[in-house]
Amino acid sequence: MLRRLFAGRFWALVRKELQQIFRNKQLIVLLIFPPTIQLLIYGFALNPDVHHLKLGVVDYAQTAVSRSLVAAFTENQIFDAQTVTFDEKILTQQVETGKLAAGLVIPPDFSRAIANGDSATVQVFIDGVDANTAGIANGYINQIVQQFSRQQLQPDIPPLVSPQVIFFYNPGLTSSWFFVPGVMGLVVTLIGSVVSSITVVKEKDTGTLEQLLMTPAAAWEILLAKVVPLFVLLMGDVLLALTIGRVIFSVPFRGSFLLFMTLSGLYIFVGIGVGILLATLCQSQQQVVLTTFFINLPMVQLSGAIAPIETMPKFFQYLSIVNPLRHYIAIIRGILLKDVGLEALWFNVLALACFAIVLLTISIKRFRSQLS
Amino acid sequence: MKRILAQAVKELAQFRRDRLTLALAFILPMMTLLIFGFAIRLEAKDIPLLVQDLDQSVLSRQYHDRLFATNLFTPVTWQGNPEIALDRSIARAIVVIPPDFSRRIIANKSSDIQVIVDGTDANNARVIRNSIKATTQFFLQSEHLAPTTASISAATRLWFNPGRQESLYIVPGVYGVVLWIFPSLLSAIAMVREKEKGTILQVYASDLSAGELILGKSLAYLVVGIGMAIGVIGLGSLIFHLGFVGDPTPLLLGTLLYLWASVMFGLMLGARTNNQNSAVQGVALVGFLTALLLSGFIYPLSNIPFPLSLVSNVIPARYFIEISRDAFVRGIGWSGIWFNLVIIFGLGMLLFTAARKALSRMQLGD
Repeated sequence: MLRRLFAGRFWALVRKELQQIFRNKQLIVLLIFPPTIQLLIYGFALNPDVHHLKLGVVDYAQTAVSRSLVAAFTENQIFDAQTVTFDEKILTQQVETGKLAAGLVIPPDFSRAIANGDSATVQVFIDGVDANTAGIANGYINQIVQQFSRQQLQPDIPPLVSPQVIFFYNPGLTSSWFFVPGVMGLVVTLIGSVVSSITVVKEKDTGTLEQLLMTPAAAWEILLAKVVPLFVLLMGDVLLALTIGRVIFSVPFRGSFLLFMTLSGLYIFVGIGVGILLATLCQSQQQVVLTTFFINLPMVQLSGAIAPIETMPKFFQYLSIVNPLRHYIAIIRGILLKDVGLEALWFNVLALACFAIVLLTISIKRFRSQLS
Repeated sequence: MKRILAQAVKELAQFRRDRLTLALAFILPMMTLLIFGFAIRLEAKDIPLLVQDLDQSVLSRQYHDRLFATNLFTPVTWQGNPEIALDRSIARAIVVIPPDFSRRIIANKSSDIQVIVDGTDANNARVIRNSIKATTQFFLQSEHLAPTTASISAATRLWFNPGRQESLYIVPGVYGVVLWIFPSLLSAIAMVREKEKGTILQVYASDLSAGELILGKSLAYLVVGIGMAIGVIGLGSLIFHLGFVGDPTPLLLGTLLYLWASVMFGLMLGARTNNQNSAVQGVALVGFLTALLLSGFIYPLSNIPFPLSLVSNVIPARYFIEISRDAFVRGIGWSGIWFNLVIIFGLGMLLFTAARKALSRMQLGD
């Protein structure tokens, strides 16, 4: 009898929360649109591929050999031969202003030198403003020239050592497979903290929290009733993100679905914990939104969602260990792409569990002390 | 004109009183600058590499040492199945030197080295492959197993940034991102707050026109933005050792125009939304996302695929980042980028018109 009453009261609170959420159109919009737009833009726009770089060519030699060198440059779609002029000045100017990514100058005696067995040097200049692209382009240029050179010298003999490279997990090297799982984590974080802090603070804003307190419901019931619907909705967001990743970016799902959903649930508790904590720290919705902005920016940046963790300076790599998002993204990438389970992810799972427990304990404590 | 100024002075007085927003205006941009400036690095180094040397000969050890001679890789030790090391992200790549490696080379036969690369991060995977190939080539040459003097060589020069310092690329871009989000965030909040508090009704009832209201507000936040820009660009240039390489006037004028467009963007969002929450979400979603992703800040603009690449044409951050990179790295000056300033001004005018329309619709006619 007592238990049923109890359950009845709890469900009444849950129903109230659900009704409030569904009446709040803004919240529903917030749950659907930002994740979708973010996934699409991040997934499509973040593209580090170095290809179709505009290459300007000045070919003073104008022979079959020099033309085949130009062909070697454009063969792998890394370079597009844009302008073939006779004026080095124009070429220099175009690289200077950034209209061309690189310039290649083949000297007049190029073919003659090769025919005589002498060495020939081609001039290459690269627009180095984008240090990363320039570095990769530089590597490609050296490879292309070396390979071309070997073909001219000893076309039939294979090199004594040749590395056979295989790519695991992502054989086609599709860059969105790296970014989309990262953005999935990012989206859950952003939405989770904003939505949960808003729903809690809204009650404070409108003063209805006092009314709730006067009801016989206990503080934990009030809080749990708030958390349960949020949890369900955010799990819906996880599925939405997963669907977009699968359908639009064809990101594979190789691991265990159950494990993925369980760990996502764990991470959602972290997100809700952050949200409620922020809500107890702030007095108004405006403050909440601003502080979440404040928290989320470094959290996203130091998570490996956009720039890989390995490329960060050491200090930031260590700092990112206390970032729950980093662990969640490692979990998503591990399960989706690598088909690994707890044996590989245990450290990340442990970290998430710690964050969830600590954040929820602190935030519930603060929430309760504010109530009494 | 007098009314515009009065409006601006009132706005600034209000701004000064609001502690939280004041802190937001100066601490957040600096923090963003530091995090973006330090943490966004694209070039990989210290990649954990597992080498399985099944040959254990002089040659194979020399090859092993060559791999770690550059600072790209750091060695990891792992007993057992190397693929598990890849699964657990202990190693990013595995190089297996076959047992007959040196024997085949001495017999002048070609020997294959197996390389397994973790392709999760496609960009770095490519860098790893290229680097292993280049290292192998270098190994062959230094061991006199390949013609040492390549008959054709490339004399490569990297312009503007010969040391390939990544901060030279990232930090001028951070200026563009930071100076877009924060001025617009502040002005959006200021505009929508008038609506939330209802004080906008007094404005509607007064004879201040929508245009004057917006210009007054934008003037105030332009002043705030200039303060922010001086702080951010000053601090950034100091920490990351950036200096003007050419004529600084395009950047000075460009920054003013850009800040003005950013404030206009915020006012437009503020005029179109009804509460602070959605205004901030709008700035965060539309402003931040476009300035970060469709501006060429991280990866080259030419990599953005077709429908999105059209959108990137109307992103002011894209044009400002070019101006800023020109001032700090390229150094061409007016002749290279005057057009960017024109576009930023044009986009600012468009945003101004949009904001005025949104407001004057609600205003009582004369």
